Amino acid sequence: MIASSDDIIIKTIARIFVPFIQIYALYVIMHGHYSPGGGFQGGVILGASMALLLITHGYDEVKRRLPEGVVMLLGSLGVLIYAGIGLTCLLLGGNYLDYSQLSVILHVDPAHARSLGILGVELGVGFTVMAIMYSIFFDISTGGFLPGDEKQSGEWGDNE
Amino acid sequence: MEVTLFIHAADDAFRILENAKVQAVGLLDTATRLTSETRWMEEKKVQGILKGAQATRSGFQNFVATFVMLMGFWALLSGKFDTFHLSLGVICSLIVAYLSHDLLFANVRVGDGRVIAQRFLRYIPWLLREIVTANFHVAYLALSPKMPIDPQIIRFRTKLESDISWVTLANSITLTPGTITIDIADREFMVHALDRKVAGDLDTGEMEDRVAHIFMEADHIYIQDVLDVSRIFAELKRGM
Repeated sequence: MIASSDDIIIKTIARIFVPFIQIYALYVIMHGHYSPGGGFQGGVILGASMALLLITHGYDEVKRRLPEGVVMLLGSLGVLIYAGIGLTCLLLGGNYLDYSQLSVILHVDPAHARSLGILGVELGVGFTVMAIMYSIFFDISTGGFLPGDEKQSGEWGDNE
Repeated sequence: MEVTLFIHAADDAFRILENAKVQAVGLLDTATRLTSETRWMEEKKVQGILKGAQATRSGFQNFVATFVMLMGFWALLSGKFDTFHLSLGVICSLIVAYLSHDLLFANVRVGDGRVIAQRFLRYIPWLLREIVTANFHVAYLALSPKMPIDPQIIRFRTKLESDISWVTLANSITLTPGTITIDIADREFMVHALDRKVAGDLDTGEMEDRVAHIFMEADHIYIQDVLDVSRIFAELKRGM
């Protein structure tokens, strides 16, 4: 169970840097089809920013910002976006993830459709990677027991 | 003859003294007026912040300020200014600003952000000069054959009041060669210093004063404040 850190320097620097890390992560995701980076890298950075917030500001602060349910929802949503775009291409008569087929729906030329399709897929990958990275870190750090679990309260209470 | 001269001299002296007294009283009056005016403004700001309506508005202001900063950072990173990428940037900045708008501007004390930014920018050259001079000193210590180091840990209580000023001071100390901030606990700094001179430099508290000046922690009188005020007084004096 992670409590709020009592090191003022680390806490303050993390507080100032987290928004910039998050916007950088989103930049990496959104520009994945132009420059190095993409969904996975950006998702990991986004997950890392939440992990940084978790180890500096503690469990309660992070839970208020990003509840467990939302994390799981984001993870599933990412897979849905990825698979949805792939299957749409399949249904439109192309191969799985053959983005050029999307030009029919998006009313743009095939090259542009590819670009937008990759962006959508990367968005999905980014969401999922962020949610799962964060979830793994969260589960390891709490040992799988949340403060709400009455049954296990004695067990994790010993660690405090 | 000599008596008249003496009387004249005494007369002159008295007149000069009188002038000086009048000027001093005038200066003090101006100083009191300026102080009471700033205090009145500060009190008004504090009262405003204590009101609930003001608090929600400042939350919204934080949101907007965070959004603007993130959008600027996005533009710097992206370098693409077509509608598509800019709208992506706006959406991303809105999401992040919504997620973390209370992080960037937490624990902000009463004070004008522009003044803080200006003073911080003026602080950087001074810090750089300190770093360069300390560099030479540490190089001297390392290169001299006897290596006259005297490592020591010094503790001092700080008069600074907000976390951001503590961190600024701690990181300034760490950036200056020869000194490293080990810990801040209960407003007490624990600093490792390489030798006595470096520790003495730190003990004079000039750095602390300057940091306090940046963040307008106005419960004390600081060297920099006195210097600023003296410039104002010089202006006033020229006007007289």
